[in-house]
Amino acid sequence: MATGQIYMLLGLLSFSMLGVLHKVADVQHSRPTTINGLLASSSLLFVFAFVMLGPPGGLAVPGSVAGVAIPFGVSASIAILAFQAGVKHGNIATSWLAINLSAGIPTVASILIYDEPVGTGKALALALIPISMFLLWKDKKAQESASGTGAS
Amino acid sequence: MTRDANVWLRLMLIAFVANGIGPFGLKILSERGLASQYQAQYLLYWYLGGFMFAMAALWRSGLRPYRREVGLGALMGGCSLLGQSFTGLALSHGMPGHVVFPITTGGSLFLVAAAGLLLFKEKVGAYGMAGMILGIAALVGLSLG
Repeated sequence: MATGQIYMLLGLLSFSMLGVLHKVADVQHSRPTTINGLLASSSLLFVFAFVMLGPPGGLAVPGSVAGVAIPFGVSASIAILAFQAGVKHGNIATSWLAINLSAGIPTVASILIYDEPVGTGKALALALIPISMFLLWKDKKAQESASGTGAS
Repeated sequence: MTRDANVWLRLMLIAFVANGIGPFGLKILSERGLASQYQAQYLLYWYLGGFMFAMAALWRSGLRPYRREVGLGALMGGCSLLGQSFTGLALSHGMPGHVVFPITTGGSLFLVAAAGLLLFKEKVGAYGMAGMILGIAALVGLSLG
């Protein structure tokens, strides 16, 4: 197996493990706020170590780089907090899909802001996202109705 | 505990939008011609932004982490970073994006869904299954462009 394929499979396993750990955190009754705080702290620590020990470059960057990075990092952290809180109310099987469907947002933003071309395949894929989200919500509602109370 | 479909949808929509906005900074950086030069540093400040928000939320909640949460949070942070790093390494070792992204995204969806159904005994109905199939198709379609 080629090196690139091994890295790809390791990436797949790492992302999958992250999804499973979100569920483990929920099963263990971990609090979303503390999980988000610890996830963010450890990630920052690992990246800091990489930047300091890795290829030369250091911490110095143009202001515009940090100015772009920080608000988008805040957005990602909001996502993790909302996701971990949301898993309490749903399945990881469907919740993980819901958050991954967000890949459509940068695609739409690139089309709107940077006039990136949109082919038939991409347009179809984007159209499937709200339909998929609707079906996932419908499934949750159906489960609530089946249990009779709206709680389980 | 109470599991509410509308609360789930509200939180997932927040996660959906915020998670979708998160990676777009790299696109802006790329359009400004700074992505290749400052990628690692960008990631550092990106995580710093996330850390600042997470600490503010934690401070506001007044909660203190339990020991088991510390291990779990560190493991999750490691997985997040390793996932991104390995994906980047696969691309830099000649794997084309139209292969890497469908496999890492679609594959992870499949594995996590399988874990939810088999390990955690979650129940997904017909609507959910249809939603998952369409969702995976949408993500693979987006990755293939």
